[in-house]
Amino acid sequence: MSKLSTPHLLGIKDITTSDIELIFKTADNFKDVINRPIKKVPSLRDITIANLFFESSTRTRISFELAEKRLSADVINFSSASSSVKKGETLIDTVNNILAMKVDMVVMRHPAPGAAHFLSKNVNAKIVNAGDGTHEHPTQALLDAYSIRQKFGKVKGKKVAIVGDILHSRVAISNIYCLKKLGAEVMVCGPTTLIPKYINALGVKVENNLRKALEWCDVANMLRIQLERQDIKYFPSLREYTMQFGLNRALLDSLKKEITIMHPGPINRGVEITSDVADSKQSIILEQVENGVAIRMAVLYLLAGRQEEN
Amino acid sequence: MQLIIKSAKVVDPSSPHNGKTVSIFIENGVIKQIASSKSQVPNNTKIIDIEGLHISPGFFDMQVNFRDPGHEYKEDLLSGCASASAGGFTGVAVMPGTHPPIHTKSEVEYVKRKTSGNIVDVFPVGAITHNTDGKELSEMYDMHSAGSIAFSDDKKPVSDAGLFLRALLYAKNFKGLLLAHCDEKTISLHGQMNEGKVSTSLGLKGIPALAEEVMVARNIFLCEYTSGKIHFQSISTAKSVELIRDAKKKGLKVTASVNAHHLALDDSSLKDFDTSCKVNPPLRTKQDIDALKKGLSDGTIDAITSDHSPEDEENKKVEFDYAAFGMIGLETCFALANTYSNLKLNDLVKKFVIRPREIFGLSVPKIKEKEKANLTLFLPNKEWKLEEKNIRSKSKNTPFIGKKLKGKIIGVVNNGKIELVSN
Repeated sequence: MSKLSTPHLLGIKDITTSDIELIFKTADNFKDVINRPIKKVPSLRDITIANLFFESSTRTRISFELAEKRLSADVINFSSASSSVKKGETLIDTVNNILAMKVDMVVMRHPAPGAAHFLSKNVNAKIVNAGDGTHEHPTQALLDAYSIRQKFGKVKGKKVAIVGDILHSRVAISNIYCLKKLGAEVMVCGPTTLIPKYINALGVKVENNLRKALEWCDVANMLRIQLERQDIKYFPSLREYTMQFGLNRALLDSLKKEITIMHPGPINRGVEITSDVADSKQSIILEQVENGVAIRMAVLYLLAGRQEEN
Repeated sequence: MQLIIKSAKVVDPSSPHNGKTVSIFIENGVIKQIASSKSQVPNNTKIIDIEGLHISPGFFDMQVNFRDPGHEYKEDLLSGCASASAGGFTGVAVMPGTHPPIHTKSEVEYVKRKTSGNIVDVFPVGAITHNTDGKELSEMYDMHSAGSIAFSDDKKPVSDAGLFLRALLYAKNFKGLLLAHCDEKTISLHGQMNEGKVSTSLGLKGIPALAEEVMVARNIFLCEYTSGKIHFQSISTAKSVELIRDAKKKGLKVTASVNAHHLALDDSSLKDFDTSCKVNPPLRTKQDIDALKKGLSDGTIDAITSDHSPEDEENKKVEFDYAAFGMIGLETCFALANTYSNLKLNDLVKKFVIRPREIFGLSVPKIKEKEKANLTLFLPNKEWKLEEKNIRSKSKNTPFIGKKLKGKIIGVVNNGKIELVSN
């Protein structure tokens, strides 16, 4: 049985295509599990996992917690809206204090890019990055690609447009790495002020016109406008953003083909997409959420090294 | 003190002995005799006799930060001097970014008093504006009279163009020199590293080269309008070099320096979120490094500096966004320049000895009989490895620990004292 090439999941950039495929294959099994009447396996019953959320999160935290519980791991949650550094304790101290209580794995969300890398070098535990600032959000990218694979049977050759605030989006960066590794074509679309100047270096196309992006793609991943990440104004108003980059039913119906709509959540209904798009049959937003649990189960299971025992 | 330095090759373009291997006899801090053959050695004379030894007038670093007063646990004036002498420097200009800043006569005098008699000559640089907050001019004339050799708001460049213009005009009264670290903060806003492919892949907020270049351009315009004098510090981008080259061609009174680490490292050093490589200005690209080297060789860039910026572990062993900018550099500056700049020794001496003092209007020491002995002893071809335990600075924030470098400092002579690097 193969295993992951990495002891941690810090980002998609650092893992191989076969890692991704292994995670998907493992997730297939767990998807069966979570659709059974008894949704639980005993795989990680001897493992304790700490979920450290230094930034507010509802769905990612719940998804991880559910994945951990379905694997029978013991779970502790630590949430703090502001980072521990601002309270005077360093991140290393906070985490070492928690690890002193015999914790095996750490799932961490943190506002600073590279925080998961930093932690992996300084503490003795397996680290899963649940989002580090504007850097990566690897499990989101995995579940997004997994959802595309589920919809189309494969990711290779598919055209995916990522629309919205690319500049502040860890989802965009991780998605780009993941989709490229799996052989998809990727385009980013958004206001020029929110497209990084050097984004081409990641091998993506850039489009500033939403209609053109939608006409090109098979899948549109509509990112949430993250006003909390914007320290200054990048566009005059949400109203004007929606005028240019909001996806509504009329626009969707005017396309020559039926494209698939994704969204990492939470949705600002009426901003990046309207309700009738979010709730339409072209949307796979809720499948993404379901797949999120299976993907996170697979990641935790593989990082715990359980596949070797089978 | 009596000292004889045997068979040392002189590197001093202004000396009649340049390029020759000589023995130098020093008595009471003065070069008494320079002889090509081994003359008789008087009793009680310290002898330095090292194969391959080179000797130049003492190096001068135009830009160091000694954190004193305020953050003496990172570096104080004396530990800073120890680091400087270990790096071959007999003179340094300390930047005003202390707490409080060097912004009145008192701090200027404090720096001078605390370092008087040291083997390293320490020259304070006073702040352009009160508290370096860019709002009101500081008492520049008073500081000038007390010994401030130039003026700078350090890493908080004066963003108010009108205020900088008045500072340039005002300093002309007493031939004052303004130092400019160029960073348009409304563009570099919260940036953590050079904006480019690497910052994009790391999700770190970028500092565009443009943030430096627009301010270099602005300052050149202000310099031309006022016929003032500006020294550009820590130049890091290709376009900045180009702008300064053109300004010099026009005959404007502008000079420039580059930090040694900007010649050695590019922004790919940050790909593992290594905070020891987080500096301001940020490490740029290979193309920028090439342009900086060209600027050095054609004379656009006058001097090489360390921008020695000590930081303790608490400010560096944290998440990248929260880490302080800066690396220490005095003890590696010459080796980095020698390893990476492609300059010949005579040209290196210009950048380390002659131009820094000329820019500040200081007299340049010479290797000549009857001159004051202000000397740096070094082995340009010796390879060595930087070890943390040998660093004399109180802070150890450098990415070069464990790295092999070429060009070793043996010691310095100045103010009747001699200091040798023991390791």
